[in-house]
Amino acid sequence: MAKLAPSLVVIAVSTALLGCNQTQPQDPQVTINKNPYPSTYQVLPRTTTLLTNATVLTGTGEKIESADVLMLDGKIKAVGANLSADLIKDAQVIDATGQWITPGIIDVHSHLGVYPSPGADAHNDGNEVTNPNTAEVWAEHSVWPQDPAFNRAREGGVTTLQILPGSANLIGGRGVTLKNTPSTTMQGMKFPDAPYGLKMACGENPKGAYGRGQKVAPMTRMGNMAGYRQAFIEATEYKRAWDKYESDYAAGLNVKAPERDLTKDTLKAVLEGEILIHNHCYKAEEMAMMVDLGKEFNYHSGTFHHAIEGYKIAELLAENGNCAAMWPDWWGFKMEANDMIVENVAMVDAVKNSCAVVHSDSSTTIQRLNQETAKIMYSANQNGFELTEEHVISWITSNAAKSLGIADKTGSLEVGKNADVVIWNSNPFSVYAQADKVYIDGAKVFDRNDDAYRAKSDFMLGQQ
Amino acid sequence: MKHFKYSLVAISMFAGLLPSLAQADTLAVTNAKIYTSTEQGVLTNASVIIEDGKIIQLNPKVVNADTIIDAKGGILTPGFIGAMNSLGLVEVGQEKMTRDTNDKAADMTFDPSLAFNPKSVAIPFARKGGITRNIVAPGGGETIFSGQTIEVTLTGDWDSVVATEQALFVSLGAKHDGSRIIGMQNLINKLEERQKALAKAENKASDKDAAKEPTKEELIINAVLKGDKPLIAYADRGSDIMQLIKLKHRFNLDLVLLEAADAVTLADELAQANIPVVMDAMRSLPESFDSLHNSLDNAGKLSKAGVKVVLATPGDAHGNYALRYSAGNAVANGMTYDDAMAAITSNVADTFNLNAGRIAVGMPADIVLWSGDPFEYSSHIEKMWIGGEEQSTQSRQDELRDRYMTKSSMPQAYTNK
Repeated sequence: MAKLAPSLVVIAVSTALLGCNQTQPQDPQVTINKNPYPSTYQVLPRTTTLLTNATVLTGTGEKIESADVLMLDGKIKAVGANLSADLIKDAQVIDATGQWITPGIIDVHSHLGVYPSPGADAHNDGNEVTNPNTAEVWAEHSVWPQDPAFNRAREGGVTTLQILPGSANLIGGRGVTLKNTPSTTMQGMKFPDAPYGLKMACGENPKGAYGRGQKVAPMTRMGNMAGYRQAFIEATEYKRAWDKYESDYAAGLNVKAPERDLTKDTLKAVLEGEILIHNHCYKAEEMAMMVDLGKEFNYHSGTFHHAIEGYKIAELLAENGNCAAMWPDWWGFKMEANDMIVENVAMVDAVKNSCAVVHSDSSTTIQRLNQETAKIMYSANQNGFELTEEHVISWITSNAAKSLGIADKTGSLEVGKNADVVIWNSNPFSVYAQADKVYIDGAKVFDRNDDAYRAKSDFMLGQQ
Repeated sequence: MKHFKYSLVAISMFAGLLPSLAQADTLAVTNAKIYTSTEQGVLTNASVIIEDGKIIQLNPKVVNADTIIDAKGGILTPGFIGAMNSLGLVEVGQEKMTRDTNDKAADMTFDPSLAFNPKSVAIPFARKGGITRNIVAPGGGETIFSGQTIEVTLTGDWDSVVATEQALFVSLGAKHDGSRIIGMQNLINKLEERQKALAKAENKASDKDAAKEPTKEELIINAVLKGDKPLIAYADRGSDIMQLIKLKHRFNLDLVLLEAADAVTLADELAQANIPVVMDAMRSLPESFDSLHNSLDNAGKLSKAGVKVVLATPGDAHGNYALRYSAGNAVANGMTYDDAMAAITSNVADTFNLNAGRIAVGMPADIVLWSGDPFEYSSHIEKMWIGGEEQSTQSRQDELRDRYMTKSSMPQAYTNK
């Protein structure tokens, strides 16, 4: 910011000398292209499809027995028993008797593509461990669409996923939300009009990567906080400079645009509410401070990821409108994961206005987020909760969509939402359940019994 | 292998407030569906009688016992057996002061029992998954010889270690710096050297020079060569597995494969050579160029081909409780239910030479009574016993949950519970 201040002074002085000459012709206005790598996602071939006679979990808290789901033009057109004959007359009918239907599963925390399989030094593209603040990097630029794990995740019903940079940095860079459709390019998977996420990380990882690893700041948790604050102070100044430029320009002044700064572009968009925070943060006391950090700089602290101690501050999270994305049972791998309880998600969820999410952060458990949810539901119900299937499905569908800022598009089977749908061969909260068919925008993208819908990565071809 | 006999009296002393059986008391669990993990298969409406920590009767015509527990049709299984993890060696994974799995200086004598902590908070959590016994594996050092495995029970008592020096563990395959050749060569060389030395000693049995005291390492390889001590070999790639099959034939080893992602490409050879595979059923991705054949259906395919499969969750043991769900997933992906049950009970016992893993007369009474299908999320443990002693399934996690579930006018941290 020190660099910008003098030039602003110069502009102010020179305009004053010219008597604020509004008649002087303006240079073209400088604007920041907010979408330089736009989605090229194309819906796969689809027909109007009627799924009949299933147990339907809508993602909005309802369970409908013997119900039909109509997918038309890529949207949910109707859900319920006895849909009108007129509505369904041109539909391809798929008998789902005895099966269960849910919204497509959404994983808010994935590193598929940026830490792909097979693990290879050349594909280690998830953590830009070169500076504690790398808000300038975008995870989408690291995504390898051929990662075979995308296909495995789809076989587990995952239709949407957010790919995040790793947690080595205080501010790790932008995350991107993808549709889990086979594609040769990242842009071909990019979820149209989904907001970007910003990965931040509390606690042990950043201070370990820098303080312990490189003997530079941050060395401590107080160093972590200083690092975020410094970054947002600078971003606030940057935003102020751009705001002034834009208002001056609008007022007809011929003013010089501030110098572009890729790092601050991202943080500025956070301050403007366009980019949502996704904050790797395990511990209660740290999440509470990150909530205040957001208030200090006037942005919303977003979703806390991992949130091992979410249950200790469930009220605070709900009051502040934070989602918390959690595992059922990962623990013991580091101090900040020491206070795991299997009922964490249920306890965060139990508070009014809560937003509890089950996430994977794993290329393997992403394949069975339904089972991860089952662990929590049954463990909680054994300990005084009365959770239902129709409620807990929201942890991996509608609440996850809310966390990603795409709840108006997907995450439930409400009429008008994208037809992202999974047909399960049985109750999805059984260990034996498998996704039978998966649809994205009404197009079948997976069918367990049809090789034409079982995508295989380029990488796997010819492997013996 | 060294076995430690423990007295039931000592166990009762340590069991604290848990209801404990005085010596010679008998306990019957009746009206259960019993998965025996033996040729008897599943017994319905059956009973089991326990005395002195052992099963003394299975499904007798008349039940006669001091204490009778009516299972009300519930499912009774052998306690599940974890394998090849670091239970009791790690408290917090990334806190080096709490890790005793590895050491640069570790050699094949590296003995986890010297560090095993029966008071680890990971143990009560593992019991929640019905795990009653465990094979603890050392992480090792800089050579392929990681040390020897031990057998422990999950009572949390000081006498949890049942056996030490149980199997020799070697780690083969891809090297980030260097070549896999060196590892395999070291193994072959060690076996060749000892084989020659043993032959020489036999020829010169009367010769005074031959009576030189063998080193501990030499004794370990001797036992491996005699087939007295299993050789557990971690390897994923097919070419490594093929080399190991050859070694088994050449040296007549009691060979066990660990992980073995590509085992499915050599299933018939492994079945023929009678080589068990200890594997993580949840591996489904080509994680590395050594493991391109990982798939959720591998456990079922190997079993079907006649390979003895042990399902395990290798690595740190904090998630070990989920072993039963791995078994369920294996079933969902093609393994038979009986094979999956054997893979976490009797197959583990057979592979590691344990006296456990079955509900049969004479076996230690490591048994678990379930509310339903033990592989299902909806089921929980009603009761469990290890060596006839009833076990708690409460853990630190329950105490944390209950603390924060209890509304109080005082901050939660100010209560004594």
